[in-house]
Amino acid sequence: MSDEVQSSNYWKSLNELAQNKEYERFVEREFPENASELKDGFSRRTFLRMMGASIALAGFAACRRPVQKILPYSKQPEDVIPGVPMYYASAMPFQDALTGIVIENHEGRPTKIEGNEMHPASKGNTSKFNQAATLGMYDPDRSRNVMKDGEQSSFTNFQSFCEQHFGDTGRGIAFISESNSSPTYHKIKEQALSRFSNAQWVTYEPFGEENALEGTNMAFGQRLRTVNHFDEADIIVALDDDFLNPAAHKNSVQNTREFTQRRNVETGDDISRLYSIESTFTVTGSNADNRLRIKSSEIGLFIQALAAELGVGGSSNKFSDHEWISVLAEDLQNNRGRSVLTLGNEHSPELHAMVSSINVALGNAGTTVTYLELPYLDDQNNRDAFTEVVNAVNNEEIDTVVIIGGNPVFNAPADLNFAEALNSAEHVIHLSDYYDETSKMANWHVNRAHFLETWSDGYSYTGASSIIQPQIEPLFDGKSEIEFLNTIVTGDDTDGYQLVQETWRKNISGNFTNGWETILHDGVATEDNFPEVTPSAGGFSGDISQPEQSEGIEVVIRPDSKVFDGRYANNGWLQELPDPMTKITWDNVALMSPQTAEKLDIEKAGLGKAEVDLITIDVNGTKIEIPAWVQPGHADDSITVTAGYGRKGLGRVADAVGVDTYPLRTSGAMLFATDISVSKTGSGYEIASTQDHGSMEGRSLLRHATLQEYRDNPDFSQYEEAYNAELPGEAWAHEQGADSPLTIFDAIDEQEYPDYQPQWGMTIDLNSCIGCGTCTIACQAENNIPVIGKDEVMNGREMHWIRTDRYFAGDVDNPKALHQPVPCMHCELAPCEQVCPVAATTHSEDGMNQMTYNRCIGTRYCANNCPYKVRRFNFFNYTDEFLTDGDDPEVIQMAMNPDVTVRFRGVMEKCSYCVQRVNRAKIQTQIETDGSMKPEDGTVKTACQQACPSDAIYFGDLTDPDSEVSKTKRNNRNYLLLEELNTRPRTSYLAKITNPNPALTQHSTISNNEH
Amino acid sequence: MSTNYEYVPEPKLVKGDHTFGSITRLIAKTPLAATPPLWYLAFAIANLLLITLLGAVAYLIWEGVGIWGLNNPAGWGWAIINFVWWVGIGHAGTLISAILFLFRQGWRTAINRFAEAMTIFAVMCAGLFPAIHVGRIWVIYWVFPVPNQMAAWPNFSSPLLWDVFAVSTYFTVSLIFWYVGLIPDFATLRDKAKGKVSKMVYGIGAMGWTGSFRNWWNYEKAYMILAGLATPLVLSVHTIVSFDFAVSLIPGWHSTIFPPYFVAGAIYSGFAMVLTLMLIARKIYGIEDIMNIDIMEKMNLVMMLTGNLVAFAYLMEGFIAWYSGYIYEQGIFWLYVVGPYAWGFWILMFCNVITPQFLWSRSIRRNVTLTFIISILVNIGMWFERFMIAVASLATDFMPSSWDYYSPTFWDIIIYIGTFGLFFTMFLLFLRFLPMVAIAEVKGVMPQADPHNYDEETQEFIEANAEPAVTQQQTVEQKNQ
Repeated sequence: MSDEVQSSNYWKSLNELAQNKEYERFVEREFPENASELKDGFSRRTFLRMMGASIALAGFAACRRPVQKILPYSKQPEDVIPGVPMYYASAMPFQDALTGIVIENHEGRPTKIEGNEMHPASKGNTSKFNQAATLGMYDPDRSRNVMKDGEQSSFTNFQSFCEQHFGDTGRGIAFISESNSSPTYHKIKEQALSRFSNAQWVTYEPFGEENALEGTNMAFGQRLRTVNHFDEADIIVALDDDFLNPAAHKNSVQNTREFTQRRNVETGDDISRLYSIESTFTVTGSNADNRLRIKSSEIGLFIQALAAELGVGGSSNKFSDHEWISVLAEDLQNNRGRSVLTLGNEHSPELHAMVSSINVALGNAGTTVTYLELPYLDDQNNRDAFTEVVNAVNNEEIDTVVIIGGNPVFNAPADLNFAEALNSAEHVIHLSDYYDETSKMANWHVNRAHFLETWSDGYSYTGASSIIQPQIEPLFDGKSEIEFLNTIVTGDDTDGYQLVQETWRKNISGNFTNGWETILHDGVATEDNFPEVTPSAGGFSGDISQPEQSEGIEVVIRPDSKVFDGRYANNGWLQELPDPMTKITWDNVALMSPQTAEKLDIEKAGLGKAEVDLITIDVNGTKIEIPAWVQPGHADDSITVTAGYGRKGLGRVADAVGVDTYPLRTSGAMLFATDISVSKTGSGYEIASTQDHGSMEGRSLLRHATLQEYRDNPDFSQYEEAYNAELPGEAWAHEQGADSPLTIFDAIDEQEYPDYQPQWGMTIDLNSCIGCGTCTIACQAENNIPVIGKDEVMNGREMHWIRTDRYFAGDVDNPKALHQPVPCMHCELAPCEQVCPVAATTHSEDGMNQMTYNRCIGTRYCANNCPYKVRRFNFFNYTDEFLTDGDDPEVIQMAMNPDVTVRFRGVMEKCSYCVQRVNRAKIQTQIETDGSMKPEDGTVKTACQQACPSDAIYFGDLTDPDSEVSKTKRNNRNYLLLEELNTRPRTSYLAKITNPNPALTQHSTISNNEH
Repeated sequence: MSTNYEYVPEPKLVKGDHTFGSITRLIAKTPLAATPPLWYLAFAIANLLLITLLGAVAYLIWEGVGIWGLNNPAGWGWAIINFVWWVGIGHAGTLISAILFLFRQGWRTAINRFAEAMTIFAVMCAGLFPAIHVGRIWVIYWVFPVPNQMAAWPNFSSPLLWDVFAVSTYFTVSLIFWYVGLIPDFATLRDKAKGKVSKMVYGIGAMGWTGSFRNWWNYEKAYMILAGLATPLVLSVHTIVSFDFAVSLIPGWHSTIFPPYFVAGAIYSGFAMVLTLMLIARKIYGIEDIMNIDIMEKMNLVMMLTGNLVAFAYLMEGFIAWYSGYIYEQGIFWLYVVGPYAWGFWILMFCNVITPQFLWSRSIRRNVTLTFIISILVNIGMWFERFMIAVASLATDFMPSSWDYYSPTFWDIIIYIGTFGLFFTMFLLFLRFLPMVAIAEVKGVMPQADPHNYDEETQEFIEANAEPAVTQQQTVEQKNQ
């Protein structure tokens, strides 16, 4: 790419022109070669050279903003109006589950991903991985070449190698694949297995569904996918299952939407109750009504005790007398057929079988829990099969190892010594996005195309099929897994388009072109679910060996909520996103409860203390050193680490961030290891956390109540109730007949709010918000928010326009965690506007607090005076650092949204209510309606609102009494943040309602006024 | 009940047996004599610091304010602390020269020139910070109401804009006031200078002063008018600086006590700085007769008064936090006392509340060494006062989720130290080339200045002729006890 740019005959700036070799030569030599040159001291040559320097200086003198020239189309493509984005439906694969998306495409550049409202897994919603995918594609560190034994090669070479090498169909070949639901892919897989007589196929995912599938196999004799319908469930029991987190469940978007739908208090019905029994304090746990923290190694015991209490096999153990067992059993019995028990993926197949049996016994199967038969599943336990394949490679039974996606050298169980095994294979072929740990060991590395660059297809978690259509030519000429596999099987370099069409010719009845185009347009072909299987009740006897009761400390290894298994490690947006629970960026840590920390003599980080202790975790002689982090609410005697970090030579973002924890993970201990020792190393390590203080300090910032409290006092979230005091100034206002308290500043009155303008407002429903952080990434993608790196986050300069505050409340030992997204409040009496000396932040006629970057001189007074602390300052030229540095800045520049200004150093920025979207809609409405400036309700969606998986954000016109946002403002749960300051925010919150079981209240209820 | 008036003679303001001539010689000898080697040494050190400052500021402008320790809640740090601190120091000069002039406080003449010079240089140091602390210094002129084609005016409701006007007005008036006071002394130097260049330069400065009655008449009028103009400025500048904080809504800033409290604090620190400099200068330049112990004691009394006003303000802050029932104000006060910046609070308490209490003792007030130590402590304390206000309040305000800890970087510190380079470079130039005591004015408070009190023949002072400068009222009853 960079070579192409340099050799091109266009230039984007004077500086580039000055660096252009030909131009340099031209400068050097004004006259044709061999013509005589002036030999005086100040020759034309030096003069011109100085001119060249002046170009640089001229650029420097005026370098307040980088100046670049763009080129117009020489031929206007059809349908493309420069500046008006096109939207295409597609789908994003995550393992073997697709989420429908709609991609905003600016002149051939995909810049933003939204959910597809027609797709059942999305319904317009997205996860943070969906939101971060555009940056993933524009990652300049992605592999750009086919590599042969570490040397640059080409796909043509690879193709001829395949032709020759795979001509011998009797070779011992092992295919190690990622989970993939693509019918085209599986068609080629079948071809491969029939063509190569000695081939084995194994699917390996370090964190996947395998144990759950094996569980259903044990329980029902068939590998079935478990689908929980959280919108149907009254009682949800999450057993170490973080089903709301995209890193822990591949259908998290649908789960989140369905879960929050059933938590809606507006319908007047009771809301569902979520019990969470877990070791790590997860996002799901923080949304639980009752949460029990136990070690992951004791989850099995808990399930057995619960099963015994319910009379579904099981056995009694130390949990049998636990108050939770009887309470839970009673609640489940009272809600037969309306409950869901769900177990974390990595727990053993036996436990999954047991949970499935309980679900069947409670009558949940077929109603709240369904079991689906997948058309593409391997009929084998892939975890075991993977071990066998590695053994076969070690025994030199395998000649060629083909690794399609995935990075097993990095993430295979440590005891398999996968890297060493690869040395025994004669040929290793690896397709991957990055030249990663596995690629370095491979003879052939083929650079993979991103899903935004290629044709593909696949199924959603529940079975809706879609076609993935490319948005851009592969930036680095990568190949999709379909094209790659096809080349191996056939030796041809067939285009993915043809391969996918071939598959779909069979699926589409009637006119193929029409059918094909409809699918591409809608982004979803069929909403049909995979065939549902009604399992026989009690198919599983529950006869499993009693898990041992573990003493001492356990270590639990989980996928990271940001980089997952490590595949997103080079994504700056995800790395800089604060972890939903710890608010840590740019690192993985060892989480432990305060009691465990005390036992290990580990200090808590906090305000003004970024340095934490490094600990050594020793699992059977394998040691890692990792920073320790005290996480209230974590189970005692348990330490959680997340995987995917500690990369070497992967990319400039991922390298040297965090610690590689995979060495601790063995095939016998994929989730937790019990026989471990932990010690302090004595040295410290600095962590970049975006929230140093977890208590609300008795301030009623995030208001919440139990369902009963809300029913008893529907106005609990009002100021008077929250503080048991009158709102300052209200009595005066009442006396004077005024609407709101007095202010010395001009209230922006009717005159300044013209009738013809809409008045924008936002409401955030804290009862829906699960705290995942998707809004933050969506905002970052939409608004060109820079990534600033660990050091700057540590300096407290995070740039996110919408942050999610996480507070701990209640019992110190078993706290509740609460999430509150905070964007700009767009105060009508904005404190920031009054103090700016140059009037760089002002109010618009449609009631938005606007930031004029060009006018800002950067006194930071506005940020100081903002009580919500939502203003963000460009302390350095952050955008310059990541948009113009490096070998190929053009790639990352393409990820920018052209509708939003890229901010220069020294200016303030903040949430703009996505003013670019608002104004586009207003202009459109004006054109369509002959002058009205008020777009219809729902036409303008802010990026955060659109991305939110739980539909927690409402945005719209407050002058329209029927708009969704106006309705929320009339909701009795509606309250203003720091209302007593009389800033009159346009953004408000709906208070959170929880539904704890009164029988377990001592740990769960919390009142508003406690510290 | 009858009242007795008893005349209590004011101690002589100028000690020693000085005549007008000896005063002129004493003061004028420094600018006119050869440069002492020690001055070169001091000047070299000051210059080194100044160059450091310039380098650091250049780097700051090149790289951005990110080189400082600022973060999201704490948008202001050392720059604003230093600004307020230096402006505060710059308060003493005009107070001494203008307000004390209007109140006919003769003792001011010993220090007014000195203090005014300090004021001007301190305001220069202060003025640097608001300029360099902005993100985009190249458009800083937008804070001035410059007419432009876009009709984009500054925001007149912003306290920062008021600051711009307040500080620039204060600087201008102080400079003019200082210069007007210098005119007769320039003439003295012009007349005494031997060198051609110095004669010319001082001559230009003297603006053709002849010492005629008309000159003196104009001079006195101008001086009085300027004193009248400068007087409200003394109070307004720090009042407006305090508005930067008080007008905002941040707990710990939003407080009506700030204007008087800031003015008192400014005078407190200004006097401390004058004392620090004066106690060194009087020794080195041998002008202990003029800048004598009585003067020092009077300044200590002012410090004691303002110091206690400041201490009272601290107590009131605590009281109001409790009394208001405003949880954020209570929160921030509690955080001051036990929070992450408690160390700063207790340094402040020691320097600004405990220290001035020593000044109740007359012997301490008249002890040069102890006064010197106290003056240093006061300035440390006043710096920490601004630190607590600016940083501690900002870093821990309404939203606990955004609380963060501010710590300075190398560049914060070096720029602060560098301003001493600017200050002392200017001050050393002042000491070297200008009369450090107002020659004409100090003569005016010497007994010789009032010819009516002298016996024509014996040249002896006749006390009975003198008007009672100070009267002490005592009742007969008290007298009789």
